[in-house]
Amino acid sequence: MLWLCIQLPKLPLEALTRAHRAGDQAALAVVQSSLVIEANRTANTHNVEPGLSIATACAYCTELQLLERDPEREEQLLQQLAQWAYSFTPVVSPRSAESAQNQADSNCACLYLEISGSLKAHHGLGPLLQQLGKELHKMRISHSIGLGHSPSAAHLLSQLPEHRQWLAETKTAPTPQQWRQWISFAPSKLMDCSHNAITKLYACGIKRVSQLLAIPLSEVGARFGRSFIDYLARLNGTRPDPVPSYEPPAEFHCELFFPSPLDNSEQLLFPAGRLVRELCRQLQRRQLYSQRLCWVLDYGSRGNREVNVDISRPLLDPQRLIALTKLQFERVELKEPVQALTLKCQQLQPIESHNLREDFFDEGNKQHESYQLIDKLKARLGHQALSGVTLTESYLPEQAWQNADSLTLQSKARKHQLTPVNATRPNWLLPRPTPLQQRDHKLFYDGELQLLQGPERIDGYWWQHHRHARDYYIARGGQGSLYWVYQDLTSETWFLHGVYS
Amino acid sequence: MNSAENFLQNKQLGKQASSEPAQPGPIQSQPLQQLLTRPDIWQLASGQRRPRTGVSTGYRGLDALLTSHGWPRAATTELLIDKAGIGEMSLIIPTLAELTRQGRMVILVNPPHIPYAPALAQAGVQLEKLLILHPRGQRDQLWAAEQSLQSGACGALIQWQGKETPADKELRRLQLAARDGDCLHFHFRPGSCAQAPSPAALRLQLQSDGEQLALHLLKQLSGKSGQRLHLARNPNLVRRDQPLH
Repeated sequence: MLWLCIQLPKLPLEALTRAHRAGDQAALAVVQSSLVIEANRTANTHNVEPGLSIATACAYCTELQLLERDPEREEQLLQQLAQWAYSFTPVVSPRSAESAQNQADSNCACLYLEISGSLKAHHGLGPLLQQLGKELHKMRISHSIGLGHSPSAAHLLSQLPEHRQWLAETKTAPTPQQWRQWISFAPSKLMDCSHNAITKLYACGIKRVSQLLAIPLSEVGARFGRSFIDYLARLNGTRPDPVPSYEPPAEFHCELFFPSPLDNSEQLLFPAGRLVRELCRQLQRRQLYSQRLCWVLDYGSRGNREVNVDISRPLLDPQRLIALTKLQFERVELKEPVQALTLKCQQLQPIESHNLREDFFDEGNKQHESYQLIDKLKARLGHQALSGVTLTESYLPEQAWQNADSLTLQSKARKHQLTPVNATRPNWLLPRPTPLQQRDHKLFYDGELQLLQGPERIDGYWWQHHRHARDYYIARGGQGSLYWVYQDLTSETWFLHGVYS
Repeated sequence: MNSAENFLQNKQLGKQASSEPAQPGPIQSQPLQQLLTRPDIWQLASGQRRPRTGVSTGYRGLDALLTSHGWPRAATTELLIDKAGIGEMSLIIPTLAELTRQGRMVILVNPPHIPYAPALAQAGVQLEKLLILHPRGQRDQLWAAEQSLQSGACGALIQWQGKETPADKELRRLQLAARDGDCLHFHFRPGSCAQAPSPAALRLQLQSDGEQLALHLLKQLSGKSGQRLHLARNPNLVRRDQPLH
């Protein structure tokens, strides 16, 4: 077993400011119960440190912006990071921050990863750690990493600067002996136990873990209690160290919060790009795809607005997805400033190999182009502007056709072929039959109508709510146009129903 | 711009002629050949020489009239029409049916009524290759048409002009998009546009003379124009029997 512990010390700050651009230089501090919990680098240069009171911090730096700590967002971000870590190993366990009252440097949130099974896939420990570091850096998450034979040990060692330095240079996993050396070398204040216990340890003069391990366990138990002994055993690896295992959700859900709301849809594109890239990375790793991107623009207390982007075929190219999203966002008018942007993908489907295979051939390429075109049109014009037509089985002319979803347009396999009626039918059908003028047994529609052929009687559906009994004729108008007209047999009125164009 | 290019090429021609007076035949005629293959240079006796063929219209009389023996490929064809129902769709439906059979997509932008599926299926159009767009407003309509023409995914795009007349610049953009995407572009416009110039490769005015569809060829790139042609309607339609009324 080889456990990696990724500590996320600046999570309270990053959960609130991740949507900012990299070059943002405003001094920010996260506060909770009148204490500064975390401050960004600009604030640090003004000597604003965690643990200061708000009044002191504001005195140090006058333009300091204060943000209230948001544990819910932190939890969300931690879940996202767990999902990200899941792409490296199937055994992941997130641990959220425990905030002790009136204490700035309480235990921060961290992730446990069991990586012994993924070393080979990443060509060894060194490259794997580098990859992890690189991606965390790209997501702008500050972190510190520790390696151990149990989660407790990894947690302890991740706080040890010497260990981190060694980890940056190492190539192979250390032997059990080396673990023991590292652990005994660690100062006892880093141990993951209550504040009281640590004060007590220092009162006894036990400054390093090695000193503690030299004392017989029964004596330690008598002083510090049963749970402390348990912890020591887990640290040593003599007792199993269970952590709750993480299961990735069946959907993608990611939110970016803007401390200063955005009032321009163009400004949304940058954070949207970041979300799309995160989505693509995850989908690619889990070999899934989504048919719909659901964007939620959160207006804060004034409700929200959903924008959907439909994708007709598996597409994992972030550039294309961003382009489609851009087309949609251009149409959106922001009624209120946007406070948070969320990307949701609810139904993730596995990519099947036959979906991708046809890309190598020319026909597949053409198909691909038409899918892209349909996606693009849908994104700009909206779902309802696109349609197709199909045949249906009915004697009634207006029911012999049907609007088809344009997504099914390209499917090759048809269940059964319907054959159209073998009679002359007009190319254009009017959505609603237009009544014709009638004078002295003559019909008028831009000039007098002259009946050429007929009647073709269509009579039926008397068993339904309304009987349709019609005699259809082909008629020629005054200017040579051919029309399809009928006489309703129940009311004896005439209607225009189609145009032979 | 074209005249400038022509000028440059003429100058080159002149230079070559002066520098190599002794060289006979092929080298001298090469730039001339290049010039002659340009589609915007009109030649009277170009009938047999040019191998470029269009997409057959399905009407032999009309094919004979057109220089490319069919609808010009990758270009705009304008059909000027005032009154629906004189056989304007049946003029292009054979071509659309052929394209859908080849698996190309056909897009209708803003059709005036519902395209009636049974009639189209009877004419041999593969309905699953037909896409109908109803964009809102002139801007979206032009955008959709341009994107579809450019994409290379669609075989033909049929567009109906809305209430507003598109500007000359926009028509030119559509024509260029059709060229880039190698797509047939049919543009139905009202007859009042006949006087306004248009970048289309082919312009036909459609009217009815009572019984037949009367075509008037207004403009044809590198070909004669001004001819008239009468096409009979489908005999099944105009056959006269004695209706009861």
